[in-house]
Amino acid sequence: MLMQWGYIGAALFDVVVLSLALFILSKKLNWEARWKAWVPGARMYSWGESLKVYRDGTVCGVLDMMYVLEMVVRIMIPDKEYVTVLALLQLILFVFVFIYRVRLFLELLKLFGRGRKWILLYLIRDWLPILILGVSNKYQPRHETIKEEHWQAGMKLLPKEDELCNAVPLINEGLSIQIRERAVREFGKKRYLLDDIALNIPERSLVLLLGGSGAGKTTMINAVIGYEKADATILLNGVDIYNDYESVKHDIGFVPQQNLIRGKDTVMRTVDDAARIRLPKGMSKEEKRKKISEIMELLGLSSGKAGLVAKKSGGQLRRICIATELITDPVLFILDEPDSGLDGAISREIFTKLRQIADEGRIVIVITHTPDRVIDLFDKVIVLARDSGRVGRLAFYGSPQEAREFFERDTMEEIVRSVNGKEEGGEGHADEMIEKYTKLVVSGHADEMIEEPMKQVVSGKGGENA
Amino acid sequence: MTEEIMTTELKYSGRVAQIGIYFRKFLRMFVYQSDWKVLPIGAIIAALITLVVGKNMFVTMEGTTYGTFALSCACIWNGVFNSIQVVCRERDIVKREHRSGLHISSYVTAHMLYQLLLCFMQTLVTLLICAIVGVHFPEIGIITPLGIVDLGITLLIITYAADMLGLMVSSLVRSTTTAMTIVPFLLIFQLIFSGNFFTLGKADFVKNFTISHWGMDSMCIIGQYNSLPMTTLWKTMVKFQDITVEDEQPLHDVVQYMRENDMVDSFKVWSGAQSGNPVYDSTVANVWLCWGALLVMIVIFAIVSVVALQLIDRDKR
Repeated sequence: MLMQWGYIGAALFDVVVLSLALFILSKKLNWEARWKAWVPGARMYSWGESLKVYRDGTVCGVLDMMYVLEMVVRIMIPDKEYVTVLALLQLILFVFVFIYRVRLFLELLKLFGRGRKWILLYLIRDWLPILILGVSNKYQPRHETIKEEHWQAGMKLLPKEDELCNAVPLINEGLSIQIRERAVREFGKKRYLLDDIALNIPERSLVLLLGGSGAGKTTMINAVIGYEKADATILLNGVDIYNDYESVKHDIGFVPQQNLIRGKDTVMRTVDDAARIRLPKGMSKEEKRKKISEIMELLGLSSGKAGLVAKKSGGQLRRICIATELITDPVLFILDEPDSGLDGAISREIFTKLRQIADEGRIVIVITHTPDRVIDLFDKVIVLARDSGRVGRLAFYGSPQEAREFFERDTMEEIVRSVNGKEEGGEGHADEMIEKYTKLVVSGHADEMIEEPMKQVVSGKGGENA
Repeated sequence: MTEEIMTTELKYSGRVAQIGIYFRKFLRMFVYQSDWKVLPIGAIIAALITLVVGKNMFVTMEGTTYGTFALSCACIWNGVFNSIQVVCRERDIVKREHRSGLHISSYVTAHMLYQLLLCFMQTLVTLLICAIVGVHFPEIGIITPLGIVDLGITLLIITYAADMLGLMVSSLVRSTTTAMTIVPFLLIFQLIFSGNFFTLGKADFVKNFTISHWGMDSMCIIGQYNSLPMTTLWKTMVKFQDITVEDEQPLHDVVQYMRENDMVDSFKVWSGAQSGNPVYDSTVANVWLCWGALLVMIVIFAIVSVVALQLIDRDKR
């Protein structure tokens, strides 16, 4: 019993001294509410917040609160049986609390420019080095080490004079996209990923989705098909994809970045099962067989179709994925890097097939990192760029030729480079281009700019060179 | 164009058809994904256990307690490991397929059927190993005419319940790493909280939520536990027979008397009858109670799996 109380006393002492150490340190960390150092949970959250490590701070805060709560319960309920269970719980909690606190402490050391040997002090008593850093004038934080722009990424939207979502109306033909915003909540903080994207894609279009790394290309296509919903309205031939997904789900084909197929099944069975599930009941077995055969032939999968998926090459895997989606003749077909891991010749072949699919009256949207070798096949280009608030926005939508004129660049890769941030090796023109394009659309000039190519597309002459 | 392509009025494969598609897919994976390996692994586990505790199982009360507990744990082990990764390892695929027409209830049902087949094969293997090792099976059954059939059904239900528990965890978590991290806790919970070995005190009610408790109980009932001889008392008497009380050795005299009159076996049976447990009375109602509890667990685990996977569309990258 004495030991039990001795243990609880020591633990309470640690809790109090840690709060004291954080209270002293909080001045150097510029906490707005220093009293939080005395509140279990809040003290860890504030610690993490001041170091801009929200996730660790929040997790640590929750764990800290549970740890202290558990200790209080132990004092209040002296029942032996419960104490044993609670001690076990505390032990488990301790492991998590320890790991997350060490992570916060390492960030603190980074801020104060101290070496890792300080961790030894931390291991003696967690509050000891915090107290030293807080009390001693010798140690001062180097706030410049925290890169504001990184932790603020997507935390707020930049003010806009005009909005594309207001300027581009939703239409009932083709694919009509209005993404007002796409945001995620990370430990209570809202982070914006996309903002103000509006465009209308007509049928028979092969569309290239361009943008630098982190510009939100995948986020956008996931939002378009409702895979990860946004604050948006997406109409596919007048049907709201978000509100009436059931009625259009068989009309949407989506090949994501990773190959979503089971490795331990044969190629033929993989495509066949997809057909059985996705093709309408009314289709006869013969028709289905013919359809599968056509798709396999189109994508060059006929030979080796009895082989296991896992044994196939990267290119073949991509084609199997495309086949499982293409089997339904989707009205909207979206492919995220279908050419990744493929050599130029096969890649060209796949894009040519996508061109054929688009020419059959479908809308095909493709993300690729090697656009220039196949740009002649595309009707339209969507350029996404990350603005200075690090939120993905629409920087351009039009034909490839118009894109070259708009950005005053010769190639698509140069266009991407022009809107990429300087820290990514780009030219950092994103804000400028977003504003320029928005103004163009709002003023109505964009319609004129894309009018002619649209006419070509509607009349069936897909492709830039058509 | 729009009218031609939009196919909203068309009907697509229903739930039953999809069960067939996925069941066949899982059967192929039995071969290609080496799921068949669970059979030899199950055989090795059964062999190890029955070699150690099988000799006195269904022969004495003590042997039955240890044996059924070990066998029940082996079944739980087999069941949980059969399914713990099956859903989470292909979660992204399931999400994509669900978005394009897969019915989650069909997917889970196909898994349930496939896993039932797997558990059935494992049960046969376990019974075979038990027979080879020389486990004394109960001769008369309570539900069926044969004790071995009752025992087989019990082993199957225990394995299957554990399998469904694994399936549920696999449906709830998003990665195989998380699933495998949870497994030890699941197994420890089953071992510690079965209530048959460790006193749980105020937490005694927890045993009702364990597969091991109901599994072990049903095996004891089928094994005619209350009719079996108890050896502990006899062994204790033999061990302490030299104790002297007022220059006499009363225990020694009793032991000698029973040995000379060939009463040892009847004494063991008598002591067993004295320490019988009404829960283990070999009645139809008791067996059904245990099986029923396990079946309820199976249903609950399956429902939770379906509900958890219905939310798969909310998965984020």
